[in-house]
Amino acid sequence: MKHGNAAFWRLSAALAFVASLVILIGGVLKEEAANEPTSSQVKHVVAADALVLSPARPMPVSETVDEASLAEASPEGWQAVALPSVFKTEGLAPGLRTTWLRVRLDDLRDMRGPMSFYVRQWFAPGLLAVYADGHLIYRSPGSPVWNLFRHPSLLLPLGYGADSQLPKTLLLRVDWVPKQIAAVSSLYVGAAQPIVTMAERRSLVVEQIPFMFSAAFVLVGIFALGVWMFRRQYPGHLFFLIAIFSMTRRWHFQLGLERLPISDAWFVWLTLNALLWQVIATHFLFAYMHGRRQPRMEKVLLCIGTLLSLVTLPTTLLPALPVLLSLRHMAQFMIILVALYVAVAGLWNAWRARSLDTGWLVVVYVFSYVCGVYDYLTLMNLRNAEFFTLTPYSALFFSLTIIYLMFLRYVRMVDESEKVNATLEERVKARETELAASYARLREVEHHQTLSHERERLMRDMHDGLGSSLTSVLRVVQSQHGTDVALQEALKSCIDDLKLTIDSLEPVEADLLLLLGTLRYRLDPRLQSSGITLHWDVVDVPRLDWLDPSASLHILRILQETFSNILKHTQATEIHVATGVDDVHVWVSISDNGSGFDLEQARQRGGRGLANQQRRAEALQGEIRWERLATGTRMLLLLPRNRLLKE
Amino acid sequence: MPAHVSPPSTALSSRPAPIRVALVEDDVTFQAEVVRSLDTASDMALMGVASSREEGLAMLSQPAADVLLADLGLPDGSGIDVIHAAMTAWPACSVMVCTALGDEAHVMRALEAGASGYLLKDVGPDNMLAEIRSLYAGGSPISPIIARQILNRFRNAPLAKTLPHTNVDPSAPQLSVRELEVLQLVSKGFKAEEIAVLMEISRQTVMTYVRRIYGKLKVNSRAEALYEARQRGILAT
Repeated sequence: MKHGNAAFWRLSAALAFVASLVILIGGVLKEEAANEPTSSQVKHVVAADALVLSPARPMPVSETVDEASLAEASPEGWQAVALPSVFKTEGLAPGLRTTWLRVRLDDLRDMRGPMSFYVRQWFAPGLLAVYADGHLIYRSPGSPVWNLFRHPSLLLPLGYGADSQLPKTLLLRVDWVPKQIAAVSSLYVGAAQPIVTMAERRSLVVEQIPFMFSAAFVLVGIFALGVWMFRRQYPGHLFFLIAIFSMTRRWHFQLGLERLPISDAWFVWLTLNALLWQVIATHFLFAYMHGRRQPRMEKVLLCIGTLLSLVTLPTTLLPALPVLLSLRHMAQFMIILVALYVAVAGLWNAWRARSLDTGWLVVVYVFSYVCGVYDYLTLMNLRNAEFFTLTPYSALFFSLTIIYLMFLRYVRMVDESEKVNATLEERVKARETELAASYARLREVEHHQTLSHERERLMRDMHDGLGSSLTSVLRVVQSQHGTDVALQEALKSCIDDLKLTIDSLEPVEADLLLLLGTLRYRLDPRLQSSGITLHWDVVDVPRLDWLDPSASLHILRILQETFSNILKHTQATEIHVATGVDDVHVWVSISDNGSGFDLEQARQRGGRGLANQQRRAEALQGEIRWERLATGTRMLLLLPRNRLLKE
Repeated sequence: MPAHVSPPSTALSSRPAPIRVALVEDDVTFQAEVVRSLDTASDMALMGVASSREEGLAMLSQPAADVLLADLGLPDGSGIDVIHAAMTAWPACSVMVCTALGDEAHVMRALEAGASGYLLKDVGPDNMLAEIRSLYAGGSPISPIIARQILNRFRNAPLAKTLPHTNVDPSAPQLSVRELEVLQLVSKGFKAEEIAVLMEISRQTVMTYVRRIYGKLKVNSRAEALYEARQRGILAT
């Protein structure tokens, strides 16, 4: 998430940078308007003479024109007009009109050098022609259908040489028809260098930058389309369509009319429908993004789009061009309505779905919409021929926003997949740990088994070898009618010893009671035959982790010695075996009700048994004590709960 | 040594049928001692004596005995095979393994093969007869170490299920609470009589519990063997 945030902020910073770039461009443009090159070398023409003709049929664009004959053809003659000028086209009788604009350049006759003429922009449903001193120097290409479209600015050289002179008079011919917009901005005439610089700067901001971004957006759209080909859940096709429609829609802003290799009628059809389909595709993109689809409304939009595209098709079956031009107003109004619906529905659904991304895009879309409508309305009621269109920039902003959202999405997906990988790694790690633990457990089991197999081998050896031999010998001795009692006892003692050793090897698992129980199990027949009752008063004691075979053997021998002492030297009838535990010790006590024995005396008799017991107890880091009871003796063996490691 | 087969019992009709005993043992002196001891017992009859694995297996085609005494270490193989074969040939027969030292490894193996008791070779004639009678009556002897081993065996079974790559038969029988209680008390050194008092049951019931435990051990040992084989399989790789 942290990662995603960082990416988010980086991209936001990038977007802010682009936004500031746009603002900067605006600033440059504004500065341009403020600091026009009004030096002595350039004349900013803000006033001219105008003459309006109403020819019955289009006048041919002749190579030369005579000012005087023009004045004769017009009833009103030349009249002063301010530039920029919006022609009054309302309330006139239908029919072709031609306006001639005359600019006197007498005051610049002294200038020498390369000269240029610059028309910032012009609107007219007809051609534009320029005459210098009565000679045709420019004629606009295309056909007279380009109403509502802003024509590219016009930069004309008036002289190339170092000693070139400006013409005395410039004549501009503008053809138009009533009810359609016609206007001409102010003009610049003078030294080529400052004018060309101004024109290029303006062209960069007004045409080239929007065009570059538009083209780049198309490239991104192609990339997105490619992604969509392989991953259909990704809305790449919508990005692509929006990019293509947006580009088509704004061809007339960015390319000169002469550069389009299609007929006027198809061009009108294309730009009109591109706008509509761009709006519809945007609606689908919103739906994809906020996820609240409205299939019926989508169908309605598709139907409207298809119908409009069909109706406006420039085929012979359909209305002729003039009708198409007026139909276009209706169509444009319809597009405005559809776009409004898309904006409202987009905002509403983005809000309902709490989709920030969609919300953002819809807001930018609404901004574009407002700009578009503003441009449209401004054109419809043109007051200033130098008005600046916002649509290219809002479209640019919209494209950038879409690209940004695509990047955001990509970054999030990368982040997501990284997270998935991370969790996967974690899971793998957890599983590895689990496996390691499992293997460790298995190894422990195996180790245990190896030990027990080894023990088994030893046991088998003793069982089949020594054990069998001893029991056989004992049986042989017994079968000789038990003459040698001492030999029999010695053999029995041998067997008991062997059993004790074997018992010490048994897996008692640190359980003292199990060890005691094993001893009891061995001694029981002997005690029974001696008529001694054994009371088993044991309680559970903690595990003694140090209880290995060697320690077990020490304990078994200590206790066995105690039992055999009782059997040999006392006339006990009862033995109590008890266990207990205190803070540091686990204890075992064996008490009998026999005659007892004098400890000192026993030692003095050279009782190796007692000394051995003490030695073994010490080896266990324990202690052995004997107590005299009212009747009998009590042996107490104290064993450490935790044994210190030996150095 | 040829199989020593005694003639069929000709017990008098007034007395209960004697316990038919068969013996597989290569130790001549112990063999003789058993024969001698059984002669003194009026309620027992020796069905046959075999002194090798081969003879022991051959003996199983004879009429069934009630109690089979079997040594494990035979000159031509293991007595375990004879015990296994006896399980199918003489299904009603109780098997008692003869052992010099009564160590855990031998006894567990015999119990897993199907034995229901064991006889220490140095017990003496009287105790030997008592053990045979007890076994015939349905009781089984048990030592603390064996009790602990069986507890471990049954405790490990659920563990085996959680280990990877093991497939312990989930239908393998588990010990009941009472059986576990008996085993725990035995492993702490208490004798059957004491356990009977502590659990407020009869001594014979305690012995019967032990016999049942041995039965479950035998069934489980098969699942256990499978588990061990698999475990070795993993560790070998």
